[in-house]
Amino acid sequence: MDLLERAPIELKSWFLNLLGSFGVPQGILSVLSAVIIIGTVIGVFLGLFALMSVMERKILARAQNRYGPNRVGFFRWRLFGLFQPVADGIKMITKEDLVPRTSDRAVHFLAPVVMMIPALLVLAILPYGRDMVPAELDAGILYFFAVGAGTEVAVFMAGWASNNKYSVLGAMRAIAQMISYEIPLVMAAIIAAMISGSLSPSAIVAAQGGFAWGFVPQWFVLTPWGFTAGLLFYIAALAESNRSPFDLPEGESELVAGHLTEYSGFKYATFFMAEYIGMFAVCGLLVTLFLGGWQAPLPFLTIIPSWCWFFGKVCFVAFTMVWVRATLPRLRIDHMLAFAWKFLLPMSFAAFLSAACWHYAGRGPLAWLLSLAIVGIPYLILGTAFTNRFAISRRTYQFSE
Amino acid sequence: MNIPGSGIIKGLAVTARNFLGSYVEKDRLTTEQYPEERPKLPENARSFPFLVFDGEDPEAGMRCVSCKICEKECPPQCIYIVQDRDAAGKAIKRPKVFDIDISVCMSCQICVEVCPFESIRMDQDYELSSFDRFGSLVLGKSRLLKSNTYYRNIHPTEAAETDARLEADRKKKEAAAAAKAAAAEKAAAEKAAKAAVEPEVKA
Amino acid sequence: MTCEFLKACSADPMKFLGEWFVLLPALVLLMAAGAAVVMRNLIHAALCLTLSFIALGIVFIALGAEFVGFVQLLVYVGAVAMVIVFAILLTKPERLTKSVSAFSGLGPAGGAAVGFVVLAALLGFIFTSPLAKKPLPTPASAPVADIGQALMGDYVVALIAIGVLLTAALVGAAVIAMEDKP
Repeated sequence: MDLLERAPIELKSWFLNLLGSFGVPQGILSVLSAVIIIGTVIGVFLGLFALMSVMERKILARAQNRYGPNRVGFFRWRLFGLFQPVADGIKMITKEDLVPRTSDRAVHFLAPVVMMIPALLVLAILPYGRDMVPAELDAGILYFFAVGAGTEVAVFMAGWASNNKYSVLGAMRAIAQMISYEIPLVMAAIIAAMISGSLSPSAIVAAQGGFAWGFVPQWFVLTPWGFTAGLLFYIAALAESNRSPFDLPEGESELVAGHLTEYSGFKYATFFMAEYIGMFAVCGLLVTLFLGGWQAPLPFLTIIPSWCWFFGKVCFVAFTMVWVRATLPRLRIDHMLAFAWKFLLPMSFAAFLSAACWHYAGRGPLAWLLSLAIVGIPYLILGTAFTNRFAISRRTYQFSE
Repeated sequence: MNIPGSGIIKGLAVTARNFLGSYVEKDRLTTEQYPEERPKLPENARSFPFLVFDGEDPEAGMRCVSCKICEKECPPQCIYIVQDRDAAGKAIKRPKVFDIDISVCMSCQICVEVCPFESIRMDQDYELSSFDRFGSLVLGKSRLLKSNTYYRNIHPTEAAETDARLEADRKKKEAAAAAKAAAAEKAAAEKAAKAAVEPEVKA
Repeated sequence: MTCEFLKACSADPMKFLGEWFVLLPALVLLMAAGAAVVMRNLIHAALCLTLSFIALGIVFIALGAEFVGFVQLLVYVGAVAMVIVFAILLTKPERLTKSVSAFSGLGPAGGAAVGFVVLAALLGFIFTSPLAKKPLPTPASAPVADIGQALMGDYVVALIAIGVLLTAALVGAAVIAMEDKP
């Protein structure tokens, strides 16, 4: 049990010791150790991306009573279509790479690269398991958002360099959306950091450890303020990773494919990959901040290795994102921005206040009720006002009646 | 009072029900897994025309007499017929070449309507794709000729009707032939009787 | 010599990398900033400026000022660069070609002269300030918690003043933008 828990670390040190016994200098070994960690993390997330690309389609299909992709297999074994990503990859790589003649070639080429860098860099600070953080940073949460800011530059570069009106419009929508939703996202993250008293992801996970009365996990999501902040973070994360119902930068009904319109072949695949890896990273941060990170939900379940719990939770959050995509239609741009500024932002302030009250009221049952009131009342008022504001009124026609 | 956000929860419940339900109730999944499962075509389904033959041998049992009515009536002109000739160069009632270009055919069934010999009928075969744009889509006589048994299989009602009509025709013809034969016999008998009488007269 | 160099590298590559990790982004920073000034294409200039923001952030991080580096990236790359880009995109093209600066009559030589005067003034202030006479503190990365305590303790008035200033600017921008509406 303990062996399995530490298996990835032990495996790495065993390999390095083996190399060391062959006389490889210590300096090279320390570099190699870093390379192994980076390679493993990127490999795992690329695998998750491949799995997600097929599972998303299968889940969406099941939600619509279809089968989804179930054909591509290995020779005559179908394997439920799990080899679909291989076929997709071959298709993407062999496709022609079209670059518009009037595009800004250098920027057009660089945009997918710039998109990929932050998506991979943010993976460095997530605690994947007990003692399994690639880069133990004191200001890890800040690092996540600082590096993630590069995505906006990439989206702008892609949209502008394509020299296409749909691309520019899509990019401007995407940036407006990212900037608007970054505020509730960061506010929600700050709440978790505030309660645990640290910006370090490991410290935040540690603050959620232990069990109340021996069996109730102390995850932040199980408190009123934590649930609100977690939900706000989740909604903002959906918008940040351009996922439905906030996928209107790529709204094909009006913008072809937004900033991706002029991308094809491997560059498009790179964008796609960066978007999905970014989504997993944000899911990982959500798990770290509110869902207890690698902590097991019940005491006797600690026999399952911590990294299994982390990736299990990440997959669960990713599944709910697909579920939401299967359910909700796309928002209109003004509704979406109004939602960010007039609903999410005030709610994040309420959650902030609620968390502070919960902390200073002694974190007991009374604090629980108090914080519930502080988030519940604004929610009801704002929510009702917001739904009334955008309620669908009976449509009247000018000529046909 | 309506709690804000309850609509989203309801929507999520609907998709969750469909998602889980599709694993439990097989009726929900209406998609046909095509190469393994095949659609049961309705009796009147039709794709492209084919030629019916009776008996075992396609050439011998061919109903087509090369009257070329279908060729003339075909709106997109996808039928091409050359009449067969015997050694002496005399036209015989049989097509030498009978081609249908199914890339042109529009499945209108007019050829079937006009055929006086119940020879051309609509097929139900839809797996006709090929790797070749021209050659394999022009169906020759060998690919067009299909037995009457096959026809009975794909369009039972229509085939029974046709068979009854052909049977009635055959019976009528037989009756006419029998009547003719009887008349001829009668005439011969009369002639014989007359002849028998005549020598007596001569004698 | 190369052999020794390689040996030094393999003995402690992290230290070796660490030294280059400061110099390289500093070089990139200078080049990108220069390019941002020289480039004719405005969007390219803005992107070069963004690159220089990123390089500056990395320099901060390499020098041990993690928090400042991250904030630099978050604020400048995430917000300021995007605001610049938006400003360029939303401005009409004819306004871009027409120069509106009060100093545009000076020409490149005049521009360089102004630049040098500003630089000289800055350097003068920096070297004559009392801070320059203090011995350099040992470079140690300050924990984020300490920075937070300092911001909320000693410098709380300054922080709130900046907050008020930014809020006023935001409200002002909103008021200016709303003028179009009837």
